[in-house]
Amino acid sequence: MSARPLIQLADVSKVYHLESGDFTALNHVSLDIDENEFVAIMGPSGSGKSTMMNQLGILDVPTSGHLFIDGKDVAAMSNLERTHMRRDVIGYIFQKFYLIPLLSAYENVEYPLILKYKKRDESGRAWDMLRAVGFDRAMSAHRPNQLSGGQQQRVAIARALVNDPKILLCDEPTGNLDRKTGFAIMDILINLHKEGRTVILVTHDPKIAEFAHRTIELEDGRIVSS
Amino acid sequence: MRDIFLDLSIRSVRLNFLRSILASIGIVIGVVAISSMGMLGANMQLSVKQQLSSDVNTIMITSDVVRTTSTAGTPVTSEGIDKSTLNDIKNAAGQNDVIPVHRTSTQFTIGSTDGRGGIYGLDPNDVTKFLTIDQGDNIRGANDALVGANIATNFNMNVGSRIKIGQNNVSVTRPTVRVSGILAARGFASDGINTDNAIIVPDTWYTDQYGNKDIYDQVNVIMTNIDEINQTEAAIDEKVNRKTNVVRITDASSRLSSISSTLGTITSFILAIGSISLVVAAVSIFNVMMMSVNERVQEIGILLSIGTEKGEIRRMFLYEAFILGVIGAVVGGFASLVIGYSVVSAMIGNTAYFFMPESIMYVPYGMIIGIVVCIASGLYPAWKASNMDPIDALRSE
Repeated sequence: MSARPLIQLADVSKVYHLESGDFTALNHVSLDIDENEFVAIMGPSGSGKSTMMNQLGILDVPTSGHLFIDGKDVAAMSNLERTHMRRDVIGYIFQKFYLIPLLSAYENVEYPLILKYKKRDESGRAWDMLRAVGFDRAMSAHRPNQLSGGQQQRVAIARALVNDPKILLCDEPTGNLDRKTGFAIMDILINLHKEGRTVILVTHDPKIAEFAHRTIELEDGRIVSS
Repeated sequence: MRDIFLDLSIRSVRLNFLRSILASIGIVIGVVAISSMGMLGANMQLSVKQQLSSDVNTIMITSDVVRTTSTAGTPVTSEGIDKSTLNDIKNAAGQNDVIPVHRTSTQFTIGSTDGRGGIYGLDPNDVTKFLTIDQGDNIRGANDALVGANIATNFNMNVGSRIKIGQNNVSVTRPTVRVSGILAARGFASDGINTDNAIIVPDTWYTDQYGNKDIYDQVNVIMTNIDEINQTEAAIDEKVNRKTNVVRITDASSRLSSISSTLGTITSFILAIGSISLVVAAVSIFNVMMMSVNERVQEIGILLSIGTEKGEIRRMFLYEAFILGVIGAVVGGFASLVIGYSVVSAMIGNTAYFFMPESIMYVPYGMIIGIVVCIASGLYPAWKASNMDPIDALRSE
């Protein structure tokens, strides 16, 4: 491979020190993900999926080994640099949507722009993102608790995309949605992949995993098939 | 458009309106306590200062009792304050009133009764600057005089009565003055002009009788601003006592300053009692802020995970504390005006000084202290929120 992969895990381990003893959530995992891949991560509960997502989302750092994202060693970055990377390079889509309850749909989407540019959005980009997921102005004024699950997830996708991230991390994005709505959300993700984004998807559901081009299966903190 | 973190804080306060208002009431009480206690103390000081300064705003200058003359080398008593010294004093005193005084004691006769008392020679224009005429008018004619309250009572005098000045001696014709007015009782005066048992005559009449024109026994300087008394004394001292001590400069301000410092201590003490309520308020603000942080753990997790900086999280919670402080301070500020005014009027009975800067400044002081206390109480909760682990925070329900 000539170019460096967008995401590179080199012998990454994550050990949690619990009262009951050390628990190895990721056990010497090595993995490359290139730009514009659509990867599904599967595995039973406790297999290390969430730990893997936390690593890929720079919410955590490896206990040993090296994790490179966009060419940078995550462990060597300062706290603030990691925060900026989460803001600029990665878009998160969560199972429970995790919208900010005190902000309207529009403000939720505008929020990452404010974090990045330290001012309210005047470019109209937040509106564009909401329109792309099927929201009009009236709906955008609603608070998350006034929206259905599918609508909340659309807002969450718009929020994840508004800073134009290279990587889209989706943690069971359809897990809290009915099947029909879930497939509609998957359609959006497929289109985003077609537009050139790298999509990483954690799911229990083999039907959802079928959308991906590559499926990585984890078990007891190791990759069993890739 | 506003800072989104300020918006988030405002919405959080609005969401927990009752709880926030209750916490702010603590600050209201604290601000009211500090402001009205402070104002009470300040008004107390101001009114006592006013009562005392009728006596103590005067610098008394007398000629130095003993000075050595260069020729004889033996101590002699000085003759008094001469014209050039008086001019020096006037220059040094600036805008303040300078009152030269002639004084001696004399025998006198009213009707057929003999008496003895002080006699003061004053420029009639100076009289009303520090003396109060109870009946009649100020000196107008060359032979007019004012009499002190005690003489007037003891000798049963009225305006228009005549007084013969000097020792009762059949062979000499004594000068006579006409009483144009009777002075109000003065009691013991710390400016050295004890008029109750004295007769006040025009300075021209005095020097005609006793000589010593342009030689004064005492010069008083009446200060318009008591706070400048020390500077003025120093200025006079520098100007007049350049080589040798020509005059002695005294005042009663040490009495005022000791009373002022006692009142200052009392003010600090009641302010300290007032601040206890602010400490209680700080605890309740701290409690509400901790509740706000603990209720919003997941939200903080979301904010951190999508790239919010720690400083921005801190700012959000400090804004919240600031809002509680501002609500408390504004309400407390208005309440302080009302309550402070009532307390001052009830306890001092005089609200003349309430709106003077020395007193009213306690309202903004109290408000600022209230806001600062709120922000200080929010520091730890804000720090705690910003240092949460995003993964743990997200997971909490």
